[in-house]
Amino acid sequence: MGEFQVHRVRFFAYMPAGIRCVAHSARSARLALARTDGALEVYNFAANYFQEKGIPGHETRSTEALCWAAGDRLFGAGLGGDISEYDLEKLRVKYSLDGFGGPIWSMAADPSGTQLAVGCEDGSVKLFQVLPDKIQFERSLDRQKGRVMSLSWHPSGTRIAVGSIDLLRVFDVKSGHAIQRILVDRRLQGLYSCECVVWSVAFLSDGTIVSSDSVGKVQFWDSEKGTLLETHPVSSSAALCLAVSEEEDSIVVGTSEGAVYQFQLLPVKWGSAESKWVRTKPFQHHTHDVRAVAHSATALISGGLDAQLVIRPLMEKMHGKGYDAALRKFTFPHRRLVSCAKKAGLLLFQFPQHLELWRLGATSSAGKDGDILPVSRAPEHLLQLKSKGPEHICCSCISLCGSWIAYSTASRLHLHRVHVENGSVSVKRVPKVPKLLCSAHQLLCSADSTSLFVASDQGAVHVLKLLEPGGCGPLQTLRPNSGSPEAVYLLAASADGDWLAAAGGDWEVNVYSLRHFKPHCTVPAYHCAVTALAIHPVTNNLVITHSDQQVFEFSIPDREYTTWSRKVQQHGLHRGWLERDTPITHITFNPNQPAHILLHDTHMFCILDKSLPLPDDATPLMNQTALKQLSEKARRGHAHAFKICKKYQPLLFVDLLEEGSLVVVERPLMDIKTQLPPPVQQKKFGT
Amino acid sequence: MAMTRRRRAMLEKEAAGMEPPAGAAAPEEEEEEKAAEEEAPEEVTFEQARAAAETERRRAGETARRDRELLKEKRRRREELFKEQKKRKLLPENVLEELTSGPQINNNNLSDTTKQGENRDESENKNEECNRRQDNEGKKQVVSLKGSYMAVRLKDQDLTNQHQKMAKDFVQCHLYGPGTNRTTANQFFSFANKKSPVKKAAVQFVNKSWGREKKQKAKQFKKHWMSTKMMSSV
Repeated sequence: MGEFQVHRVRFFAYMPAGIRCVAHSARSARLALARTDGALEVYNFAANYFQEKGIPGHETRSTEALCWAAGDRLFGAGLGGDISEYDLEKLRVKYSLDGFGGPIWSMAADPSGTQLAVGCEDGSVKLFQVLPDKIQFERSLDRQKGRVMSLSWHPSGTRIAVGSIDLLRVFDVKSGHAIQRILVDRRLQGLYSCECVVWSVAFLSDGTIVSSDSVGKVQFWDSEKGTLLETHPVSSSAALCLAVSEEEDSIVVGTSEGAVYQFQLLPVKWGSAESKWVRTKPFQHHTHDVRAVAHSATALISGGLDAQLVIRPLMEKMHGKGYDAALRKFTFPHRRLVSCAKKAGLLLFQFPQHLELWRLGATSSAGKDGDILPVSRAPEHLLQLKSKGPEHICCSCISLCGSWIAYSTASRLHLHRVHVENGSVSVKRVPKVPKLLCSAHQLLCSADSTSLFVASDQGAVHVLKLLEPGGCGPLQTLRPNSGSPEAVYLLAASADGDWLAAAGGDWEVNVYSLRHFKPHCTVPAYHCAVTALAIHPVTNNLVITHSDQQVFEFSIPDREYTTWSRKVQQHGLHRGWLERDTPITHITFNPNQPAHILLHDTHMFCILDKSLPLPDDATPLMNQTALKQLSEKARRGHAHAFKICKKYQPLLFVDLLEEGSLVVVERPLMDIKTQLPPPVQQKKFGT
Repeated sequence: MAMTRRRRAMLEKEAAGMEPPAGAAAPEEEEEEKAAEEEAPEEVTFEQARAAAETERRRAGETARRDRELLKEKRRRREELFKEQKKRKLLPENVLEELTSGPQINNNNLSDTTKQGENRDESENKNEECNRRQDNEGKKQVVSLKGSYMAVRLKDQDLTNQHQKMAKDFVQCHLYGPGTNRTTANQFFSFANKKSPVKKAAVQFVNKSWGREKKQKAKQFKKHWMSTKMMSSV
């Protein structure tokens, strides 16, 4: 591998926010997810569940419902009382319309996707028409007493089932009147207790209404007669959410205890026509309340307040037990939240509303492989930069020398000049930063700290000159040759300052020449999302990793793939490499070893040695520990290009500092879990 | 008025005749009685007694009046003080005048327009604008002052925040309220440690937030002390 001193950093107090609602779009195989801090994420299932888009959160935004309508348009509504449409190309809120009904608790699109029904605090259900460029209030159904906690359209679009407190109502859409009123019992047995909140309803095409309530039961009602068909007590705490599959033969229910149950419509006897709903599979993948579930064609998706997204493929829908049928759990973001100033030994941590600057510690002793060295100078928390306003920070970066810090919220770009002398830190805001009409999606400082690259909308990259005493020059823009509506979300700059690579939402990678200030070439299109980019300091080869774990190396001066990259494509990558759960988020290089590429994802970091042979599926991929036992000669025979270390995980960031030391930023899961909100108590025998 | 013992004794004698003196006051009264017995009782004529009683009454009345006057003075002074403070709190007089005159002129304007019609002064133009703005904004009381700033009732602005807060409280109450069976994260995750064959400590065995301020103060003190030591040694 190489002899490195590892700075093992665990003082990044990263805390993900819980998942509040999810919306699955079968048409585009995408999942939209809203968190409790107002952030929105879009996962692309086809691209190996990569988190391809993210909209930063907002202090006052609390989304309660998300839905896809009219094709690929995403709408959200929350306790602020307004309905927003999200612009997924420019990664911001397109517009917000006030519902005038108080806080909105639920929203659903009708089966044709042209109308939105919104359930408000004042008890009214309002219908909005979805027009090509906006939504318009159409009418309001009869107002009822009690807040509308959940609603669901009948597949024909003529009736709406509404769940509120202690009650279920069925509305006829055309007349606006309530045609059925059903009382939900407060408790199955025992004392008369506090009110029963119907957290979620679903309307099936045969007129059955499925409801899940705060007592923990799932009930099936006949909407024509208003009678109870079946009751299934599912948990002793609340059953918070439910989702029905397309074919209406499977329902998934999420509870407060973190358990997810599947109900299936099975025939009573083999071959008989009559069928019943039976609770089939329990899953316990969450520790906290599951507040959002979705049912795709082949998987159950659940998101909880423990900030984990769990995708459980259903075995009966999968062909065989391959990697496709594996359980996927996502806790950490697929974006970099840490920047490193390599020359100064500083780390910049990005939090939703502030940035922290730390200086790495130092050790004066040396040791051999596996030793833990005593720290002679402790890591120091130098600076905390708070962002003003309710918007969360979208992206941030620090220059390599550590003297410029830039961060961006949804509306403004902030640039600061930092001086770190022996004991003191001083930070000064750079005045007159040009106002961008759109938000920055990624920031990067050039290698010599003279320019700041700002990735923005429509494929454009802005270049801002950084002037020495603490000012900035005018803004220049680089645009790709092919017009693209998608925003750029990844940037990479070369060490000599000549080249800039940018990857956008349409998965196209453009390379610009900074000397001539125009587009240089475009990397041949690949059918998967780009997860990380980096340019080699010596050879100017662009290394690209995709979300399906493919690795490419493109030579910028020659405008073609390198021979090593072609060899890798021909040989194919090892199965163990392709079947990894998390994408590679950062690529870096070792200046002393030009043939080495250092990559990392959440559970491992790997040094790719281009001079060694590639492994085939028969040899084990993680063979480093085995190699250590062998002699020098045997090692040379068995070594292959992928040198993987899984000692440090879960990883948020890995980078190589100048003097042959590695910095590894970990975030142990238990540290996150202990700061989560209180979970439901589980009584276990013997405790 | 507290009477002297002697006078009381005299009155008692005059009123009810000689009575045997009772318990604790016995020795003094005996003395007085003896003294009184030795001397002849004072001869007080009716006029003298009446005059004495009158002077007493007058004196009592005067003291009462004086007290009342003093109280009145005090109260008057406090009222004035409060008035001063209130005056200081209010906006300067000219602004207040304009604000109060605004709606009045509006009312006048309305009646004027119904009666007459045309009265195009500058001020009335402004008031018509005020009117229009009021009509447009309905409930909100907006009075514009020469276009430089607007006075708006803060009560109307807070409604969405209040609704949002109430909604959040509702959810909080139903998810984390008294009926739900919640426990701390520490307890929840320590179950595994408790039940494992090798018993381990709880997940948050050491609470790092204990005495955080004291530790910080100690650190600052140490820094300061070290620096003074350095300076003194160099």
